[in-house]
Amino acid sequence: MPIPWTPAIREFVLAFADDEHLMGQQHTEWIGVAPFLEEDLAFCSIGQDELGHAASLYAIVIGEGDPTGASGPSVDNRAIDSVAFDRNPGRWRSCNLVEMPTQDWAHALVRHWLYDSAEQLRWELISESKLASLAEAAVRAEREEWFHRRHADGLLDILMPDPTAGDVLRSALADLMPVAVGMFDPVIGEAAAIEAGVTAAPFDSRLPLWIDLVRDRFDIDPVLDDRAASIQQHRTVRSEHFENLLSRMCEVLDLDPAAIW
Amino acid sequence: MSRIASAVTAIRIRDAVAAVDDPEYPGISIVDLGLLESIDIGPDGDITIGLIPTFSGCPALAMIADEVHAAVSAVNELDANRVEVRWLNTPAWTVDRISKTGRDTMAQEFTLAVRNKLEPVACPRCGDETTEDSLFGSSRCRAIHLCPSCAEVIEVMRSGA
Repeated sequence: MPIPWTPAIREFVLAFADDEHLMGQQHTEWIGVAPFLEEDLAFCSIGQDELGHAASLYAIVIGEGDPTGASGPSVDNRAIDSVAFDRNPGRWRSCNLVEMPTQDWAHALVRHWLYDSAEQLRWELISESKLASLAEAAVRAEREEWFHRRHADGLLDILMPDPTAGDVLRSALADLMPVAVGMFDPVIGEAAAIEAGVTAAPFDSRLPLWIDLVRDRFDIDPVLDDRAASIQQHRTVRSEHFENLLSRMCEVLDLDPAAIW
Repeated sequence: MSRIASAVTAIRIRDAVAAVDDPEYPGISIVDLGLLESIDIGPDGDITIGLIPTFSGCPALAMIADEVHAAVSAVNELDANRVEVRWLNTPAWTVDRISKTGRDTMAQEFTLAVRNKLEPVACPRCGDETTEDSLFGSSRCRAIHLCPSCAEVIEVMRSGA
């Protein structure tokens, strides 16, 4: 039986779509300027995947809400662009971690690992979703995500044992952790999504597991800080970096608003 | 539409889709790559083509869909407004969907091998086992391998691992 499509469930899917969209965008910032060619290609491919996942999730946001009954995959690309780019900041549901500007390489690598390790747990929670299109997207995405984790872990395996590199990475981790915890900050709609069987459990129920992963990966006890949730207010408040990021993302679209893509 | 007429139309549509090449591999049909999943002809003659992407973020999806739409609309002068091309979320694509013709052409024309999960890869030139040089190739779907025997650089189209 199809689940009833409600604004709360829409918001739940939208939050994941927005995170994927902005994380993908941040990865693409390394195209042409990564430290070496292989990393250029890696971040390009990984960013491309995240943008693809965002498009699949936006398609669900649009398609499931379509009263004509059209399902996600048939949604026109222009409709996806419209929801992806033409929204006021207040209607986004991204977390602050993915809104932070790309800084140096260590921050990029650590954020990539933090995001992808949490993302895996997030897809798992919806892999048996009663929202069939979401479960299908989760199964396909998870087949692609191994590649992201192998990339981040491969580099960290090499870099962490080096004393200098290890210090730089741990310092980046200390900067990012308080913001990264905000990934687990739920949208208000999450409770309704759990009720309807769209997701199996609250995402923050996976926070202890994720903290263990961080501890093992970086060989450090991360400082736990719950400020992110109060700052983000269930992802309804954008960070100071957001407007600049959105205008950068729309730079080409804004050159000629009448152009058809 | 009678069942026979419907079946004949489906064959013509399949042939039309098969005439569309992958933009990255001119000469290799998207049907040989395993992208065609379904052809549905509705009772009113509405046609829905279901395709599956190799990877979610493939930048060629819109271009492929447009080409399939044009090719199918040209069959029997079908009404383009009644032809719909959908990218499906399921099943997930794997290299097992590539036909023998597709694999042979990839090997001969593009020095391209395919790999499912972490299976060994045979060099398309000499058949010896390759070694992985980089997970990251010229596009999301390809890795770079080297052949220790003939020293060839091999691109490997992969899935699943």
